[in-house]
Amino acid sequence: MPAAAHRLNGSQIVARTLRAEMERDPSIIVMGEDVAQLGGVFGATRGLLGRFGADRVLDTPISETAFVGAAIGAAQSGLRPVVEIMFVDFIGVCFDQLINEMAKHRYMSGGEQTTGLVVRTAGGCIGAAGQHSQILSATLAHAPGLKVVLPATLRDLQGLLVAALRDPDPVVIIEHKRLLKATAETLAFGAPVEDLDAPEPIEIGRLQRVRDGADLTIVASGFMSQLAWEAAVELERSTGRSVGVVDLRTISPLDRAGLLREAPAAPRMLVVDEDYGAFGVCAEVMAVLAEGLGRDAPLMGRLAPSSPVPASARLESAVVPSAVSIAERAALLLA
Amino acid sequence: MTVELRHYEALHRMRAFEEAIAAAVVSGEIHGEMHLGLGQEAVALALGELRRPGDAIVSTHRGNLHALAAGVDPVALLAEIIERDGLCHGKGGHMHLFDPRHDFMTTGIVGASAPIAAGYALARRRSEDERIAVAILGDGAMNQGSVAETMNLAILWTLPLVFLVEDNGWGISVAREASCAGRLVGRAEPFGMPAQQCDGRDLDAILAALGTAVDHARERGGPTLVVAEVDRFAGHYEGDTDLYRPAESKRAARAPERDPIGRLRARLADAGAEEEQLDESERRARATVEGWFTAARARPFPDERTAAEGVFA
Repeated sequence: MPAAAHRLNGSQIVARTLRAEMERDPSIIVMGEDVAQLGGVFGATRGLLGRFGADRVLDTPISETAFVGAAIGAAQSGLRPVVEIMFVDFIGVCFDQLINEMAKHRYMSGGEQTTGLVVRTAGGCIGAAGQHSQILSATLAHAPGLKVVLPATLRDLQGLLVAALRDPDPVVIIEHKRLLKATAETLAFGAPVEDLDAPEPIEIGRLQRVRDGADLTIVASGFMSQLAWEAAVELERSTGRSVGVVDLRTISPLDRAGLLREAPAAPRMLVVDEDYGAFGVCAEVMAVLAEGLGRDAPLMGRLAPSSPVPASARLESAVVPSAVSIAERAALLLA
Repeated sequence: MTVELRHYEALHRMRAFEEAIAAAVVSGEIHGEMHLGLGQEAVALALGELRRPGDAIVSTHRGNLHALAAGVDPVALLAEIIERDGLCHGKGGHMHLFDPRHDFMTTGIVGASAPIAAGYALARRRSEDERIAVAILGDGAMNQGSVAETMNLAILWTLPLVFLVEDNGWGISVAREASCAGRLVGRAEPFGMPAQQCDGRDLDAILAALGTAVDHARERGGPTLVVAEVDRFAGHYEGDTDLYRPAESKRAARAPERDPIGRLRARLADAGAEEEQLDESERRARATVEGWFTAARARPFPDERTAAEGVFA
């Protein structure tokens, strides 16, 4: 890793990646609340206004429906908009433009209309309770036509964003707030960030095994993969059992073939998700395996919140998965 | 723009187009919901007259005639509407029409056209030419937050955008008076947006009002709201019993002195057009539409094996 890149946090890497891609592709514009003057409330668009000007970096009113919809029309006119929805929790106010418009135009046009745009949005728990700490990945993935990716590492933040910017379909990137604030040395695992000025894409729609393990596989996505890795290390240390981790990277379209390929590696599987458990990614992963493997499916359990995120830190940690609770749940399967 | 005999023929083509579609609903050839623009032809015609290549039009669930105005291939359009392998290969149907070659699309969600059209306008504002975008809305859409949000954005960003409201007075069964506070044309004022109200049944009036708005956008002056009063001849959809509207008002809407076609005919006759010429225009229009239907019916049905395909590239 270049020495300079080592000190960058996730937000700075996103900003550097956007900058590199905007230099490469003049059709890229960035729009959203506080993205220009402020550089984003998480700093992920910092420096772009000064570099590219107000024609390409646009502060918007607090009108998600208007500017997310505008991104669709702009994309269909040859621009490549990158829209920031400040918190993923705000998708409710522009949901129609997400699920009825951008997601469906390719299909409903019989493939004639392309809407290549990127929605970046911060998700995940960071102590902000029920309306600012959700991840809502399954809500978005439930709509056919949206690609939904959840980077788990700083390199994935970079590479999946590059891929999204070159994708012919709308891609929603849920950037975990803890990842945006993290630097490389604070993370459990992750490949080094590549050349900041010419980053390579990482393929959307492919999971990655990030850790081998013969006794149990933990399937996770986004920052949960970091916690799963931590838990796996701790389990191996304390019990001597071998625990692997598969990072989904993309939850829509889900890498079904990859899941079936990875499943036989261990006789047990734990699926971890920060999103609400009911009707979510855990259920989808387990359904894919049950359908694809039948009796050969590993022994599986689920760990995911079943309530909104509470405000109190004590309650919060009881709801949102942690390395400790993942290890506890995994221990039950191993027993 | 001088109103001519060709406009009369074009209005008749639109009328015949929608009437033939209505018949195809009755016969069962079209099984889905259908919203027709019968009575609203003059607005679509004016739109087509003022449109230039590269202008974008984002229309509504009642968008068949706007598609014709945008230059969409009528046979491909009809094939899509009669559920063949048409404009959208049978995936969109009449409510979800997409023709990127003509920068035209429709959405079935009331009010959703405005934000998308703003994006088309944003991209056009960046170019050196005079291309613009038009968001078509009904009076019912004026109560959607998406429209208010977009009006605000369009003024802030000086978007070359026209908000064209076809005010037919009814949101399905609810009269405008029961759903819309204040005057629709007054909704532009708080945003500092110029606004025009006109009789959308009168081709001259809608050409003038829409023309002013289009010119303003081409000159990069920003958005305009145009409210065109029209009559919805039929129910909200084909099959609507339409008992919520007084029979007398429905009859009155179709009277020759109110109907856009009747009015244009009288206007052209006054200007010296022969009855025979006018009748010939109508016959030609109906023959043209029959030809389109014949060609559309010759198109194959979509291959059912493609049904689940095309969600992603």
